[in-house]
Amino acid sequence: MHTNYMLFLLFFSVAPWRPVVGLEIHAQINSNSKIFSGSQVQFIAPPNSLVSFFDASLPGTLPVLNRRCVEAAVMTGLALSCSINKKSLFDRKHYFYADLPAGYQITQQRLPIAVNGNLSYTFCVGAKQSQLVTKNVRIKRIQLEQDSGKSLHNDARSQTLIDLNRAGVGLMEVVMEPDMCCGVEAAAAVRELQLILQTLGSSQAIMAEGQLRVDANVSVHHPGEPYGVRTEVKNINSLRFLAKAVDYEIQRQIEELENGGTILNETRTFDYKLGCTIPMRDKEGKQDYRFMPEPNLPPLILYDAKSLPANIGDQQVVNIDWIQERLPDLPSVKRVRLVEQYGILPEHSFTLLNEDGLMEFFEDVVRETQMNPKKVIGWVISELLGHLKQYDLTVKESPVNSLSLADLLNLLERRVISSSAAKQVLKELCKGEGKTPLQMVKEKQLELIQNQSELDQICQAVMERHQEEVMEIKAGNRKVLNKLIGLVQRATERRADPILVKQILEKKLSQ
Amino acid sequence: MLRAALREVSTALKEGRVSPTELCQRCLSLIKTTKFLNAYITVTEDTALRQAEESEKRYRRGQSLGDLDGIPVAVKDNFSTAGIETTCASNMLKGYIPPYNATVVQKLLDQGAVLIGKTNLDEFAMGSGSTDGIFGPVRNPWSYSRQYKEKCGQNSRLENEDSSWLIAGGSSGGSAAAVSSFTCFAALGSDTGGSTRNPAAHCGVVGLKPTYGLVSRHGLIPLVNSMDVPGILTRCVDDAATVLGVLAGHDPKDSTTVQDPFNPFELPSVIDVSKFCIGIPKEYHIPGLSSETLAVWSKAADLFENAGARVIEVSLPHTCYSIVCYHVLCTAEVASNMARFDGLEYGHRSNIDKSTESMYAATRREGFNDVVRGRILSGNYFLLKQNYEKYFIKAQKVRRLIANDFVNVFNSGVDVLLTPTTLRDAVPYVEFIKEDNRTRSAQDDIFTQAANMSGLPAVSIPTALSEKGLPIGLQFVGHAFQELQLLTVAKWFEKQAKFPILQLQEMLDHADALSHQKISLFS
Amino acid sequence: MWALRNSGCLCAAWSWGRSRLARGTAGGRQTDQNPEWQLEEQKLLPQKKVTMELLDHLERLALVDFRNWEGVERLEKAIQFADQLHEVNTEGIEPMDSVLEDRCLYLREDNITEGNCTKELLQNASQTADEYFESPPDSLQKAAFCKLRCSFFAGENLVTGNIPLPKLEEHESFLQDSN
Repeated sequence: MHTNYMLFLLFFSVAPWRPVVGLEIHAQINSNSKIFSGSQVQFIAPPNSLVSFFDASLPGTLPVLNRRCVEAAVMTGLALSCSINKKSLFDRKHYFYADLPAGYQITQQRLPIAVNGNLSYTFCVGAKQSQLVTKNVRIKRIQLEQDSGKSLHNDARSQTLIDLNRAGVGLMEVVMEPDMCCGVEAAAAVRELQLILQTLGSSQAIMAEGQLRVDANVSVHHPGEPYGVRTEVKNINSLRFLAKAVDYEIQRQIEELENGGTILNETRTFDYKLGCTIPMRDKEGKQDYRFMPEPNLPPLILYDAKSLPANIGDQQVVNIDWIQERLPDLPSVKRVRLVEQYGILPEHSFTLLNEDGLMEFFEDVVRETQMNPKKVIGWVISELLGHLKQYDLTVKESPVNSLSLADLLNLLERRVISSSAAKQVLKELCKGEGKTPLQMVKEKQLELIQNQSELDQICQAVMERHQEEVMEIKAGNRKVLNKLIGLVQRATERRADPILVKQILEKKLSQ
Repeated sequence: MLRAALREVSTALKEGRVSPTELCQRCLSLIKTTKFLNAYITVTEDTALRQAEESEKRYRRGQSLGDLDGIPVAVKDNFSTAGIETTCASNMLKGYIPPYNATVVQKLLDQGAVLIGKTNLDEFAMGSGSTDGIFGPVRNPWSYSRQYKEKCGQNSRLENEDSSWLIAGGSSGGSAAAVSSFTCFAALGSDTGGSTRNPAAHCGVVGLKPTYGLVSRHGLIPLVNSMDVPGILTRCVDDAATVLGVLAGHDPKDSTTVQDPFNPFELPSVIDVSKFCIGIPKEYHIPGLSSETLAVWSKAADLFENAGARVIEVSLPHTCYSIVCYHVLCTAEVASNMARFDGLEYGHRSNIDKSTESMYAATRREGFNDVVRGRILSGNYFLLKQNYEKYFIKAQKVRRLIANDFVNVFNSGVDVLLTPTTLRDAVPYVEFIKEDNRTRSAQDDIFTQAANMSGLPAVSIPTALSEKGLPIGLQFVGHAFQELQLLTVAKWFEKQAKFPILQLQEMLDHADALSHQKISLFS
Repeated sequence: MWALRNSGCLCAAWSWGRSRLARGTAGGRQTDQNPEWQLEEQKLLPQKKVTMELLDHLERLALVDFRNWEGVERLEKAIQFADQLHEVNTEGIEPMDSVLEDRCLYLREDNITEGNCTKELLQNASQTADEYFESPPDSLQKAAFCKLRCSFFAGENLVTGNIPLPKLEEHESFLQDSN
């Protein structure tokens, strides 16, 4: 996927198409209750058990705004460097759908709570994923709105069942301007947003649970010409599929246009099994949401330190400055700190934050081991993470916990085992048999030979058996020394410390 | 007893001269007798008697909850009542039983009031005659009053009566008729363009529209969210103040109620109007105004002037546009509010099941009457992208102009405005239905509607009888949240006007004639 | 009498009010033969704003049908009536959403105070299945069918969506049902 990025860059620098990608992201607000009613927010629950009269649109019920949702949106807006609108308005967006009981959604179309921000995101390129590219995407707006319920199709009994548990859950819609140009960028931008939301706590942003949903707007055009017709791609439920869907759609559009076709302004869905986008048949006739001000919600007024009124109760006031002061360290700040604190490379800190839980894991290991963090990072990223990826496990599911790894690294530091032995042990441990590093070392007899004279004897033996090589080394070909070291290793079944071996051999050779 | 004012009955209950159960039974009985008025959709006999019993227990223990304890009240059938069918006089909600009480209903019940029934209305409160509901039209009790009979000719034969009966006004006609015919002591209506004041004027009772934001709309099935308020119908101004005292105040369930604290008040018994300034808006003198109403209006102005009040002519220049403005904003909100009626979660559901879309369309076709459907379509037209700026936003701007008219007048020293409530007295049903709903509403709402646009409190006071012996009401409009001042002026006027009590015997005779039974209900 | 005292301005108000009222209740004053009014009416008759396309569009958006010509006429009259708004000069005037625009919105605490009333909710629904509301076995808008254009796969038309949308013919037929 990342190599594709390089190909794209190459391709597009030569070919005349410039892809343009914008995103509309819906993040479920992390709150106890819904945005306009007091029913609970929870992913799994018996059908229609988390539904209030208002959520079911019983006539006569009215919306009451949840303060926590406002705070979540303000936090998010501040973290994305937006200007927070001190006055924002609510509107109704009308359309009929079985999971929208009121026949309209309450949203913020005219004047949303935050506008004009930006998001910096980073991603790895290059064959070794070692090159970091940082880009910026403008945030057009953040608005508060309601989530809809869920409809489930039971084809067997030819039923469509409606569960309104999710109806009315608070959402923040984050609109990213079309400043991105491909799948990698889109995925990286969303990943960064996800990290920010999780750090703030304003949304748990778990895509698999539908807490973060992304719609991509894709178009292509020739540089210098106006933007092309765009399509909207929906139904993307993971970062990987986001990148795939976007890239596929770009390709599709280019091919279509190069074959003399046209792009329709349509909505497409991503079929993750086939790996392509498919048009969703539009309603015959145009859609018109007939936006109208929500008459049951007067304007939302936010305050800052200067405009704080004296006579309103604390509970009724959302103070932007107060929230700003209490913002936690954002991912970008954390990355800088990791680099400064541990001396690791920027691309390492990027990976640490990118993988859920990896940063905490790394810091735990560093705390428990004497090994230099600059070395620990290699073990965490190259070795451990590599194994986890192989087994398709998350950090949380790792069979090796941070203490275990620390133990292993300590064995290495104390020269009980060699580096290659440690790698071997780690590989075994990742199979998940539940043994400790020490147990594994003993089991595989990987302890290094510490006995100097034993080693000495073995080295001597090897040298005697390979006189030719000895001659060559003495003649000046130092590279052959490695062969000898290798032979000693083989003789000792890799239980010789290569550094010691080298020292002994060199001493002997110089005699 | 049934004719008494709330406070008198309350005292009687406290003193044990009458018991809540007796009172309740008498009202229920009278409701049965006056069934032909069609004021009630649902009579909650069992629950009412149970509530009366509870009230009685409290009185016996000397622990009454207040002035409303044990008092039979009626509620318009567009307020949600838990466990009691709430239909809005529409097929769409026939059989719908809400699982919760509207805040105002709950407040009444918390004070021990006895809910005697749900009253009839125009379907979804759209109309000014209470004639366009699925349960049929409401008849104005005055159709059967001695006053009307005497003035309108000697024919008291059943057939003529049946064809010449008058509308009760609307859309809270059922509530107004219920209060007017003594079957309850107070009733809740709703007021969006005059729906409480209009029937109050036609039925000869007091109809109060509180300031928008003073009384909770939670549970009131909405027509126009930005203009609806619960309305109070009683037989005298003091009663209206009492009920307002129970209902007003911030409701956390309704974000459009103001958070200012509300203090219930009692109106002074001695009122000096010489310190007030009464405004007479000249634009309210329109050609359609009947000469009788005009005469009553000017006589009223004279009354104030003679008592020392300052009576001046004022101008509300955008009055003539308020109806058009209302038309656009009302239909737009209706289009939106009615979108929830699709048959899925509650209400009528069509059998046509081919697709969700066709089910929705069929449900709405079967559930709504022409008036409702017409407004939905018009409203959607005005909300279309291409029309939104031209119509909806334009109407919102005109709304501000109208509201500013009132602000300007009130800022110039006027305390209360005095205007007619309706163009004329109640017309016979057969005449009323000759014109379509929208036209009628446009005409009938003309004096009442601007107060909804600007959110101001207004009250209709029964003033005098017309030549036909029918009630004519006058309207007072006050400053926002100044109900105390408004009702003080209104109370003084009520005292001066000395509006006659509805002479019911003829109505009872009519009932007798229908049922061949002689029942005497008044002691 | 107040009326006499103010007869001067009353007369002016009367004639001004008369023409205003006449225009304000288009169609209502059938017995009024005032030629001035009739002239106004003609001036206001628009070039046909209501086209078949618009009717279809509105019906689909509102899911309410006009049923017959009366319905259409009602809409035309409503538009005509509303057009009077354009006489008013609203330059520099802000639209008014609500009379409470100067008050700030009440915020509630993030506590769980509602829900857990599945039975009560389902009670009023006509069609339910277990604890779900039941809707007709299709879905609006989201029918999908596959037109494979991607060059990576050999083309085979696969129907991945469940249900087709109601076609125009169906739409017409249920409109006819009502007549």
